[in-house]
Amino acid sequence: MNEHAVRLGTPYKLSCSVNGSRHEIETAPSARLLSILRDDLALTGAKRSCEIGRCGACMVLVDGKPVNACLTMAYQCSGKSITTIEGLSTINGNDPVQLAFMEEGGFQCGYCTPGMVISVKALLESSPDPSDDEIAEALSGNICRCTGYGGIWRAVKRAVEGRRSSG
Amino acid sequence: MLLNRANSGGRWRIRPDGPGKVTGSLTYLTDLTRENMLYGLVLRSEHPHARLARIHTGKAKQLHGVRAVLTHEDVPGLNAFGIANPDQPVFCKDVVRYVGDAIAAVAADSPAIAKQALSLIEVEYDLLETVDDPEMALLPDAPQLHPGGNALHRTSFCKGDTAAGFGQCVHIVEETYYTPRQMHTYMETEGGLFVPEANGRLTVYSPTQHGFMDRMQLARILDMPQTDIRVVSSPIGGSFGGKDELNVQPYGALLALRTGLPVKIHNSRWESVRAGLKRHPMKIRMKTGTDASGKLIAHAVDILADTGPYSTLGAEVLNFATEHVIGPYRYSNLSVMGASAFTNNGMSGEFRGFGGNQAIFALEGQMDRLAERLGMEPWAFRKLNMREPGDPGPFDQPIAATEGAGQVWEAVAKSPLWLEKLNRSQTVTCEPWIKTGIGAAFTMHGAGLGFGIPDPAGGRLQLAPDGKIEAVFSYEEFGQGLLASLELMLIEQFGFAAEDIRIIIGDTDVVPDSGSTTASRATAMMWKSLQRLKEPFLEQMLGRASSVLGIPADLLRLSEGGIRLKENGEAALQLTYKELAQADGAEIRCDTSFHFPVSSTDRVGAHFMYTYSAVAVKAEVNTLTGRVKVLEQFHAVAAGPVINPQGFLGQIEGGSSMALGFALTEEALMEKGFYVTRNMDTYLVPTIAEHRGKVTVLPIEELPAGDEYGPRGIGEVGSVTVAPAIAAAIRDAAGVWVSRLPVNPLELQDVPFFLKEGGDRG
Amino acid sequence: MTGSIHETPASPHVWQPKTAEEAWQCKQACGSEGIYIAGGTLLHTRWEAGIAAMPPHLIDISGIDGLNGIKIGEAGLELGSAVSLQACRNHPMLLRRFPLLTEAMRAIAAPSVRHLGTIGGNVLSIVGDSITALLAYDAALVWFNGQSEQTEKLTDWLPNAAVPGYTDDRLLLRIVLPLEGADDKQNRCTDLGAAGNKRHYGAFHKIGRREAFTPSVVTAAVLVTLSEAGEIETLRIAAGGGQTVPARLEEAEQDGIGKQIDTDLLRRIYERVGQIYKPQEDAFATSAYRKQTAANLIVTELWKAGGGIDGQGG
Repeated sequence: MNEHAVRLGTPYKLSCSVNGSRHEIETAPSARLLSILRDDLALTGAKRSCEIGRCGACMVLVDGKPVNACLTMAYQCSGKSITTIEGLSTINGNDPVQLAFMEEGGFQCGYCTPGMVISVKALLESSPDPSDDEIAEALSGNICRCTGYGGIWRAVKRAVEGRRSSG
Repeated sequence: MLLNRANSGGRWRIRPDGPGKVTGSLTYLTDLTRENMLYGLVLRSEHPHARLARIHTGKAKQLHGVRAVLTHEDVPGLNAFGIANPDQPVFCKDVVRYVGDAIAAVAADSPAIAKQALSLIEVEYDLLETVDDPEMALLPDAPQLHPGGNALHRTSFCKGDTAAGFGQCVHIVEETYYTPRQMHTYMETEGGLFVPEANGRLTVYSPTQHGFMDRMQLARILDMPQTDIRVVSSPIGGSFGGKDELNVQPYGALLALRTGLPVKIHNSRWESVRAGLKRHPMKIRMKTGTDASGKLIAHAVDILADTGPYSTLGAEVLNFATEHVIGPYRYSNLSVMGASAFTNNGMSGEFRGFGGNQAIFALEGQMDRLAERLGMEPWAFRKLNMREPGDPGPFDQPIAATEGAGQVWEAVAKSPLWLEKLNRSQTVTCEPWIKTGIGAAFTMHGAGLGFGIPDPAGGRLQLAPDGKIEAVFSYEEFGQGLLASLELMLIEQFGFAAEDIRIIIGDTDVVPDSGSTTASRATAMMWKSLQRLKEPFLEQMLGRASSVLGIPADLLRLSEGGIRLKENGEAALQLTYKELAQADGAEIRCDTSFHFPVSSTDRVGAHFMYTYSAVAVKAEVNTLTGRVKVLEQFHAVAAGPVINPQGFLGQIEGGSSMALGFALTEEALMEKGFYVTRNMDTYLVPTIAEHRGKVTVLPIEELPAGDEYGPRGIGEVGSVTVAPAIAAAIRDAAGVWVSRLPVNPLELQDVPFFLKEGGDRG
Repeated sequence: MTGSIHETPASPHVWQPKTAEEAWQCKQACGSEGIYIAGGTLLHTRWEAGIAAMPPHLIDISGIDGLNGIKIGEAGLELGSAVSLQACRNHPMLLRRFPLLTEAMRAIAAPSVRHLGTIGGNVLSIVGDSITALLAYDAALVWFNGQSEQTEKLTDWLPNAAVPGYTDDRLLLRIVLPLEGADDKQNRCTDLGAAGNKRHYGAFHKIGRREAFTPSVVTAAVLVTLSEAGEIETLRIAAGGGQTVPARLEEAEQDGIGKQIDTDLLRRIYERVGQIYKPQEDAFATSAYRKQTAANLIVTELWKAGGGIDGQGG
């Protein structure tokens, strides 16, 4: 139909990096990143909840930026570097953000926690000492129904300190 | 002492489920998959009320990749469920009564095929008149939704003569209060995996608050022995009462048994909204009067609840509301009437607070209005009318007496927020349209299911062959911190190390039936179980150790890692638990079972144990927009000893957040039986931006000498007093009495002061 | 396992043009079966809610040269239509020169959605919250119609686009914000900045149903320049919110031009806003509430511009 524009049909081979490993995934170009992660790669840390980007339970980093995996289509990930909650823990242990959530009790049922941790991680990468306004804005897309956010506020503050003291 | 990390010292611990939750490695039941797994979907009604003329599944069955299409014809046992009264059809046969009613279910090789199959099922409906208003539902000429009529349940409680009482009153306040259809909005929607096992049994991996109740209900539907069904029910991505009743389990189970293959069902958010439970919307009319001194003389209440199409726990919720519209005050004359009406609206049912949220909003609203009428300070007015220790409960039933009421009253009276209110001076700000106010509310909140309802409790301690101390309960972990609380109790009461302990919950094949994880009861019942188990378990453990070591049992004690001598506290281990487990002798195992303590009354639903709570709230009203912000909260909670500081704080903070949503942002709107709010883009639960204010929690731990009941529940009490406190703060700030939730900003708006005559800034 | 389990029988084709011409040709070839897509956040919401079906062809414009940048052009600051909302939110020049727009961005969705969603998509929805701020800056749209670029004022396009059944095959290339005045301090939110002898004042408000990540109920923007003598020299007022297509409230603006900000003027504008702002009702907020809110916010901002409590009556 068009001689110039690239046409992506099904099956589509998505080539991207997930948690540092290269992946070639056969899928549909419009398949949602959330189902690619959960169903194809068995990475279930990103959770299925609202599926319209209104809760943040499926938050992942794409090239370091937090995005809702439920809103992201396969072709939008081509050549990108994707980090899920499973990619945050290192051989040396948990990320300081994860430690802070455990120490302060920044979670209860835990279903929002992977997405919440991802958003905090992205915030602190771009703003290591965020103001309360910045914290509220950065986490406004992550709904937690259990904690009332008290433990989450404390966890973010502690993570800021933790990162500062660790260098 | 305020509850926070610093004040909790070593009792503030990392939860045992923490690492799995912060790393995403914890597998929820909706994350499970199996080889050759099928995907299940349920076809639900397009209409709130209709006769089913014809259901045709032929085309769907022919679709390639479809493995089963089930309807009411395919239910081997009872085609109905419901905890209290099974009147909700698994699959509707003749009539659909709400937009969540199930008509058919499909299992297919992929979600896409299952979805397509649903679209191929042809259903012909003959539309019936929609009963979307509980008041209309109770009129004699309304379409009747059930053979027994549209009144699911009626309650009444009277004493004295209210008509005569009002005649003696100097001040009378009459008001009608409305509360919203609130959605639990657990982040994990309903779902699970249903596996037919090679030996003919069925394993159900699906969240619930009472695995044995699910097992009983499924056995009834499947016509299978209960022992052939295993229900695995934790971990749970939030419940708040919403997953206590069956949801997708009947469909998953039927599809798995029909196909012989594992079936996964995981509701989309919209499916969860349309089919799931909500908090009962209530209309509560109150007329309350005092004498000239402010003593309550008469209190007349009329409660109307919209219970939706089927029973579930609607009757029990109304009982609870009936008790809590009376609450912690003394009246000379009392008349309470309640009705819960069937409608074609969404299903109402169990939700944290269980009818107390609505009742307390109304009751505390009356107290504030009366105090103002009397020109009394509202907190002093409450004190004047409060039940005394030793007084009976709201239904005049005997209760476990504590000083809780006076304790939480005094805590708020002395709180910085309340002192700020009493000593406030008028200040002119540069934004005079922002007005702040402070309000408070108070309650006694019942725990347990109440008199007349089976409320079993119990648990087990055993020494496993590998030397782990196993604590085995049928309670569930849905985020509240049950595992952490149990671990801490075992450490503190028995001297174990965390590594010595293995907690086993949420699996009907291995746990005893210790009742449901509802009604703020689980922590109290675990505490009580351990109290009862302690002596026999110590006896067995130390007795065995004694015979191994040749040391008298009374010289030995349990400790971290194993058995030590009582003397020389830090001395070396005499025997590890593993060595103890491998020694000769009978299995070391202790069970206990008992009933949740109940009042000696004949009033069904009346409670025996209460948690007392009072809350002060500071809020601001922007009169340009009518929007309300909660700036600060102070919670005083008298519930006995704090079992788990982090969990306690989390329950109060989290409960208060739900109450804030109930007061300000949340309403599952329905129009003519259809949901308007279908997802989280329009149904708005609080975000972190709603929660920028300080929340202070003061636990009051002391109990009367000789109290044998220990910790009272705190799972619900954080969520029941915040809304009336916000309403009082709004009155204080903007001079408007709010009687309908969520607060309508239109009621709080005003013309900018500079446009008013004289430019009055007040 | 392959990715087929979530593939619908009709997974759309995705076209990835590199130029506006290619995109146009794709659109012509697909006709009504194809749509332009950039971030896709709004489309996803509509597909998931069942309001719209996923079409057979998606024309991904995010790879087109020139649509992803923010730069100064002849007519003003140019925002490529595929620039993400979050890139706008934090762009230094926008923060400095067009703070009403960055404030509008702050209040749209949440950062993660803003990383995907684009300014073009927000405008093309015709009810995006950025539009109210863009109207206050008198923004223009630059389209590609298959042959050439066309420039159109946002105020002129909106009424046409709001007509039911409106369709447009044109590709939105960029949004142009005129660089009025020269001083960087102008237009600072809720703060009077002096530029030469003139004083500039601006504010944007979004009122929703919760504090963050909320659909709007009312959006309002006010941008005013006062002479040394305190007379209103220029005034732009825009309001929208919810499903209301944002519009300039030009009669209210005319009421103010050349006047001192005093109680009489504020009262006149207050009444005028109530007459000419025509918000759409929905199940959550009445028209009366929206009118009162818009009028309150607009006159209060003007009152503040006039000096607030200190300048009262002056």
